[in-house]
Amino acid sequence: MRKLIKQKKGQFVIIAMLVIAIMIISIGALIHRTVTYYKHEPWEEYLTLIGNIELSSRRLVEISLANHTNGDNPNILKENLEKWQRNLTQIYLGYGVSLNCPSNEIICSWNNPTSFSSASANFTLNINSIGLTGYKFAAVALLKLSNTTNPLYSNQNKTWSINVTVTDENRNLTTLKKDNFQILINELEHENFTVVPQYFVNYTATSHKFFYRIECQGVMSDPSGGSGVTLQVWDQRGIKVTAKYS
Amino acid sequence: MERIVMRTLRSTEAQMRVIETILASFIIVFALSFVNMFAIVPTSPKYELTDLEKMGYSALHDLDQNGLLASFIYNEEWENVTAALNVMLPVDLYFNMTVYDLDGTVVNNAKIFYGDQETFGASNNIASVTYVLVGYGATYKPRILILQLARG
Repeated sequence: MRKLIKQKKGQFVIIAMLVIAIMIISIGALIHRTVTYYKHEPWEEYLTLIGNIELSSRRLVEISLANHTNGDNPNILKENLEKWQRNLTQIYLGYGVSLNCPSNEIICSWNNPTSFSSASANFTLNINSIGLTGYKFAAVALLKLSNTTNPLYSNQNKTWSINVTVTDENRNLTTLKKDNFQILINELEHENFTVVPQYFVNYTATSHKFFYRIECQGVMSDPSGGSGVTLQVWDQRGIKVTAKYS
Repeated sequence: MERIVMRTLRSTEAQMRVIETILASFIIVFALSFVNMFAIVPTSPKYELTDLEKMGYSALHDLDQNGLLASFIYNEEWENVTAALNVMLPVDLYFNMTVYDLDGTVVNNAKIFYGDQETFGASNNIASVTYVLVGYGATYKPRILILQLARG
């Protein structure tokens, strides 16, 4: 061991090996950096344009459904789509944007215990300036109202109650308030009601369910004997759906 | 030749000089790396504009997806638009936004602006993002947002 420490030969070789090792590591790091260098893809500039058109088209379908469910115009979706197609070409002048809508429809099934309002449209997008042809996407808007329990009238308490769920095209809506609901009993507006959001965890069925418990107070007679109860719901987008319970 | 090589290999002179040279090289490399951390790298116009456009679009897209952008624009809450963009964009990014209708008329009667006017005007790299809103509530009423961005 002492001999090794006092050894005076081979220093040059050691230093040369050290320098070679440093050179190899440096070249390795340089190659790695070159490989992972950010590459500018021209497509990325146009993804913003495509994303904007897609999101706006979806919004258009929602706006049209909101308009249709709160008004009387059955052709509102078709009219809005035609305007949007014209305006898009005008807004993005020079890009050669062409948006076609081969199919679109609005379907509303109301006045049932489970009712829904829906609109859908299929789009094909062409952008001539970047050579994009036939990019297809769809837009769907839906609002569905279902009851999870049968309506219950209590003659003793003079109350009418029901549990309902409200869903859109993606999920169960959990942020609705009393202002989003309107109740008509025997075709007369009834303002004395409460809406309580509840979350029911059914351990046996391992299913979780969010629902709204709606309770109307001051109901003098059982509505099922008359015109029944009409429940109207609006979501945050302004889309309406109407259910009826006889 | 062989004798010279063997003599060189067995030489014990100037070993410290060699080690000092290596240490000096390391010190110079570390010093350069340290200084590089504080260096202001000149921006490439091509990449800089693309980066600014991406940031601007991401900010507008996120606000739109959350339903905030349409609400602010159509309710003419220009201060809220400025505040929201301030939150979404980096502090050193100056912006100026103008809202147009389809006829090209400017809709915002208040400035949607953040930053230093002089820096904004003198900057060589100003990116421009065009974003369209189709309407709000149940009404089709397009609005065209032009967002200009520059580094402060």
